[in-house]
Amino acid sequence: MLAFALRRILVAVSVALTVSVASFVLLHLSGDIATAIAGPEAIGEQIAAIRAQHGLDRPLIVQYAAWAWRALHLDFGRSFYFPEHVTDLVAARMPVTLTLGVIALAVALLVAIPLGVLAAFHRDTWLDRAALAVSVLGQAMPSFWFGLTLILIFSVNLRWLPVSGNATWKHFVLPAVALGYYAMPAVMRLTRNGMLEVLSSDYVRTARAKGLAPRKILVRHALRNAVIPVIALAAVQFGFMLGGSIVIEAVFSLQGLGQLAWESIARNDFPVVQAIVLVLAMIYIALTLAADLLNALLDPRLRT
Amino acid sequence: MPIRIDAGRVRVGTMRGMGALLAGLLLAGLAGPALAAKANDTLVYASDSEPENLSPYHNSVREGVILARNVWDTLIHRDPKTGEHQPQLATAWTWVDPVTLDLTIREGVTFHNGDPLTPEDVAFTFNYVLTPEAKIVTKGNVDWMKATEVTGPHSVRIHLKAPFPAALEYLSGPTPIFPAAYFKKVGLDGFSKAPVGTGPYRIVAVESGKGVRMVRNDKYWPGSPLGRPKIGKLEFRVIPDGDSRMAELMTGGVDWIWRVPTDQAEQLKNDPTLTVLSAETMRVGFLQFDVQGRAMENSPIKDARVRRAIFHAIDRKAMVDNLVRGGARVMNAACFIDQFGCTDAGVPAYAYDPAKARALLKEAGYPNGFEIDLAAYRERDYAEAVIGYLRAVGIRAKLNYLRYAAFRDALRGGKTSIGFQTWGSFSINDVSAFTGIYFRGGEEDLARDPAVIATLQAGDTGSDPAARKAKYAEALARIAGEAYVVPMFSYPSNYAFSRDLAFTAQADEVPRFYAASWK
Amino acid sequence: MTPRPATLTPAPAEVALPPARSPAAIALRRGLSHGGFLIGAAIVGFIVLAALAAPLIAPHDPYAQDVSRRLIPPVWHAKGGVAHLLGTDKLGRDYLSRLIYGSQISLLIGLSAALISGIIGTTLGVLAGYYGGRVDAVVSYVVTTRLAMPVVLVALAMASLVGGSLKVVVLVLGFLLWDRFAVVTRAATRQVRAQDFVAAARAAGFGPVRILAQEILPNILNALIVVATLEMAHAILLEAALSFLGLGVQPPLPSWGLMIAEGKQYMFFQPWVITIPGVALLVLVLGINLLGDGVRDITAPEGRH
Repeated sequence: MLAFALRRILVAVSVALTVSVASFVLLHLSGDIATAIAGPEAIGEQIAAIRAQHGLDRPLIVQYAAWAWRALHLDFGRSFYFPEHVTDLVAARMPVTLTLGVIALAVALLVAIPLGVLAAFHRDTWLDRAALAVSVLGQAMPSFWFGLTLILIFSVNLRWLPVSGNATWKHFVLPAVALGYYAMPAVMRLTRNGMLEVLSSDYVRTARAKGLAPRKILVRHALRNAVIPVIALAAVQFGFMLGGSIVIEAVFSLQGLGQLAWESIARNDFPVVQAIVLVLAMIYIALTLAADLLNALLDPRLRT
Repeated sequence: MPIRIDAGRVRVGTMRGMGALLAGLLLAGLAGPALAAKANDTLVYASDSEPENLSPYHNSVREGVILARNVWDTLIHRDPKTGEHQPQLATAWTWVDPVTLDLTIREGVTFHNGDPLTPEDVAFTFNYVLTPEAKIVTKGNVDWMKATEVTGPHSVRIHLKAPFPAALEYLSGPTPIFPAAYFKKVGLDGFSKAPVGTGPYRIVAVESGKGVRMVRNDKYWPGSPLGRPKIGKLEFRVIPDGDSRMAELMTGGVDWIWRVPTDQAEQLKNDPTLTVLSAETMRVGFLQFDVQGRAMENSPIKDARVRRAIFHAIDRKAMVDNLVRGGARVMNAACFIDQFGCTDAGVPAYAYDPAKARALLKEAGYPNGFEIDLAAYRERDYAEAVIGYLRAVGIRAKLNYLRYAAFRDALRGGKTSIGFQTWGSFSINDVSAFTGIYFRGGEEDLARDPAVIATLQAGDTGSDPAARKAKYAEALARIAGEAYVVPMFSYPSNYAFSRDLAFTAQADEVPRFYAASWK
Repeated sequence: MTPRPATLTPAPAEVALPPARSPAAIALRRGLSHGGFLIGAAIVGFIVLAALAAPLIAPHDPYAQDVSRRLIPPVWHAKGGVAHLLGTDKLGRDYLSRLIYGSQISLLIGLSAALISGIIGTTLGVLAGYYGGRVDAVVSYVVTTRLAMPVVLVALAMASLVGGSLKVVVLVLGFLLWDRFAVVTRAATRQVRAQDFVAAARAAGFGPVRILAQEILPNILNALIVVATLEMAHAILLEAALSFLGLGVQPPLPSWGLMIAEGKQYMFFQPWVITIPGVALLVLVLGINLLGDGVRDITAPEGRH
């Protein structure tokens, strides 16, 4: 197990390094940084001075090392647009996106797991097919369109929930549903398949033969085993959702990381974009690492 | 099976952890809710852009102008109804000669932080913004000043670079006064996070990405031409998306929005809880060309015949009648027609004539048209309608829709061939506030025509109003003749707000919330 | 399928069970009795036909604007008319014509992005699966790195750096969506590689290129088709999202995502403006997904789910 864990951690670290190189390259592709820092009115001399002052005249590899060292200390430099440090901007918006992600994941799991279990128990009935239809629809629906439709129905027509912003928990309901619905089908299918597998396994058959009530079988044996891979998938889905929340945040004017990233892209504020890419990638790497280690802990066969 | 027991344990642990995380995040993510409306004496207004810096000299977005007018005072006040100049922070002023202006500074005015207003504050503000280190973005508003000196306990003297008859107009708008001691202490960064002025409202919170909260300045100096503010709390919310703003208004989340597209404004009129106002503004839309052809090799835009063809290709009247509406007018000269010095007499007018446009393109060597990019930052529909008209004469334009900052940089940097610009002249009722920005050789001038620059300089510095007008007419005629820009139309602004609110709109596109009240 | 020497023919259960029938006939029989597959094929076939015949069936020029005939509602609406069956948009362009031409864009993007990502992903996956060992480790690492990059954000950033356009969208999506191809073909290749006929081909002295092309690729084709449909659907949805955020396909091209973005400001009072392209997108993606699921079920060995 230890060897596996070390190997897995090594991979995670090298992936993290590669991603950091990619996001560093992204910033440098976006144009001349010295000109951007100097502002639109600066003349040649000022730009040259800024280039020297920020060390932008050094070889790229040296610049990368310096940048990576600072990034390790959570220092991503200053925004080109706001008179603020990128870290402060990102930190201010992070809770909104994390809250949205957590609620959306909760919505997805709370709907998908029971639905998957029901579908497996009532395999090949109308219930199974309905669950399948819900999941197929979820995969086919453009999330921003779904979000707009939710606003139209629940905010404008019924006036139950607010339209935009993140002031109260109510503001998170619609965006979380829109985001969570997208993640739901995968979780549901996995739960259903896991349940089917477990239900056909020997010990459940034995339990049935012993005359245990179906509910007890469900709770005591089947669910517990079927849920393990779902936790791993949930971790991965959470990472995807943080990345995908950019669209939902735009629809609901939620001032989270996604909205900040989108606006920063539109404003050519690439230090911010680069930091957000890096932060989201790191969260994803950490989550998948945790999920893999957890899985390996639970299932020795995976330690290869 | 030991593994299964482990699984249960781990799962429970994870769930508990998740619960704690969730609770923590909820607490962190949810600040106190903002309540709009009369009951809380809080007027929440929403608009799309967040000023990059709250210092009025360091942003050029309209939201910044609104904040500036509600939080800071200027030396002189211009009555929006009569256009008369009245004393504000300056009680009196005299022209010593055409390049020297003496002003008496009002006593007994204090800044929001308690510092008294002194002539030093005035001199510091104006001298500071002229320094290159200040890196202000509104240079065109102050670069007529050479230096400001304190001449007595209550007086200052402004030295001009050259005679500038519109000086009082500029002193009554985009030149707010900063508290010198506080600014020196906190610097620009600190100032932008906790700005201090003398105006009717005091900023209490600046929330990045969300907006600005203000409360009434209860110590606002009596006798100000702005009057005493009536509403207790003011909140500016940044909602980038127009439809979200409208939905927020319809559901009571905000009290006031503007720039409602005319189609939607007409629908909102049916809502009994809302008031909808439409008024023409000083804002003029225009296509600005990359005249020097920096954006692409062998740019067709360098050819005046192509630019004239574009002029002829667009049915501006149909756009005004069907799309823009709300009191908009077609503009022929590159300025707002009611500004001092703006005229379309003698300015060549280009009728909608696609056949002529095609002929001109053929003459210029583009019988099959060409591909080009067009950048826009405001109403997408208008830009798309222009693209549709261009397509009809063979010009295949691709829309590049950007935020204002990126849009401005793209035009200035010669990275786009056509820009759908709009300009509100900083609400200054003088043609120099338009032509001075786009044709006098500055950063935004993409034509850099020496003849136009010279004529405009003569107009800006002349002392005889009639002679100034003649110079401007000459410059405007040349601008239109060369088709450096295609003036489109004036912009109406559609305001929509809660029935409870008494609000009057002004043509200068500056909502004066200090004058608003609850019904 | 490529004909192969009798000695190399595998004898899996599916071929052996009904002796008289060929695999193609079995697939056909299964396909005709698979409801999802039929619906999916019908939807996709219909939309492909509409896209191909767009110039013939579109009632108007999708770019012809007439600002005096704006926002006419669809025909089922009281104020609608037969001149514009689905009404007109904010610039007076015929909505049905734009919808028909828009299908070309969605299909073009889906197919090209799936093709590019298919080539990249399959190459990586097959190499990893065939050679294993270090090659496999490198490919896995590349896939993990790719998965760690937030797709929408990176696609947006790239599109904004180069400027959004149809070509850019196709390239960006093509270069971002290959991960599933790699994962699936790697697994499939490993499985096929272990089979007798591959070992036999090797023993017969065939080079790796020939083995890959003649033995492996045909046998992972089914898996590839399934992934290709998934990625097509994925690319179409992502294009719509990018266009919605303003950094995808640029006006005046009638992309469905762009139509939703442009119609957004009318959604409160003229909801059909976003409902029509939204439903079109939903139906197309649904059709592609059903088709892909169907192919998977049909080609799966009997009795497996």
